[in-house]
Amino acid sequence: MSKMLQIEIYRYDPEKDAEPYMQAFEVPLEKMGMKLLDVLNYIKWHLDGTLTYRRSCGEGVCGSDGMNINGVNGLACITAIEGLKQPIKVRPLPSMEVIRDLVVDTTHFFDQYRQIKPWLQSKQPTPEHERLQTPDERAELDGSYECIMCGCCTTSCPSWWWNGDRFMGPAVLLQADRWIKDSRDEATGERLDQLEDAFKLYRCHQIMNCMEACPKGLNPTAAINHIKRTLLNRKS
Amino acid sequence: MATKHAPLSPRLSIYRWLPGMIASIAHRGSGIVLVLSVPCYLWILHGMTGSPQDFDATVAMLHSPLGRLSLWVASLALIYHFCNGIRFLCLDAGWGESRMMMRSSAWLVMAIAMLFGVALGVVLW
Repeated sequence: MSKMLQIEIYRYDPEKDAEPYMQAFEVPLEKMGMKLLDVLNYIKWHLDGTLTYRRSCGEGVCGSDGMNINGVNGLACITAIEGLKQPIKVRPLPSMEVIRDLVVDTTHFFDQYRQIKPWLQSKQPTPEHERLQTPDERAELDGSYECIMCGCCTTSCPSWWWNGDRFMGPAVLLQADRWIKDSRDEATGERLDQLEDAFKLYRCHQIMNCMEACPKGLNPTAAINHIKRTLLNRKS
Repeated sequence: MATKHAPLSPRLSIYRWLPGMIASIAHRGSGIVLVLSVPCYLWILHGMTGSPQDFDATVAMLHSPLGRLSLWVASLALIYHFCNGIRFLCLDAGWGESRMMMRSSAWLVMAIAMLFGVALGVVLW
């Protein structure tokens, strides 16, 4: 008989449950290198078909299966079971309205993303070929273009928990910095004007949960500091 | 069916306390202690200036266990807030912004404050 894994999962069905609760499961350790998503799939396919969660690519690219794993946010598909303290406690991304089980309402998160206009803005006529960058200009975008908008960082941030209605949160600010740094973008001034605000940007208190949570190894705290310095440079 | 208000997923009660979060929240906490200690120490200073008897009574109060404890707490808050304040200034200036440095500098300032706290405790008792 294979070794059994102990796991506790946050459950909430709005049609049946008055309150959310934690449900314990035992799952056989089927193979080496098993990921948390494999465990959730095992439960859904063999133990309880009502368990609800988002997943798509299964390899840390789509950003669907962000969740709170033993107290820290991460992607289930790339989190190895090995090294996780048991019982593994799995909860939805923090400070979000729960639709069902591990599925949360991301409307506000993506609305904040839309507010920073995450696309290239240029007054130049559309060129016939691609807009060119030097290798150095392109290298400026390393560390921010990799973001997959999974929401692990934003929902790990206590400043966003308390002031999420106005503070943009680390994911959105990392993306804002990505466009501010882009040599092809011509709306840098407008982007900075929009963020120069006590709440939108300056609620960041360098707690660094975002950096610890990022499953892609990025550093939103550093990106936020870069925006602050860019604002300061513009003034002086 | 009437729609219920969706529950908010748990946050502070379940999130693991990582070094950066402890360092940041300790910075807020020590800042509050320092602000509150200013009127306290002004009041103590005021108490010393009335008469020689008042001076002796205030000195005795400061030498009591409670007096020493307040001195220890305020000094610890001062040294922590000072060290972590420099760490925040460095980060603002763009120094030590790598993931590894952010983590280890949080540990470093907490270790300095802890060593200072132990040393001061030995001196005061």
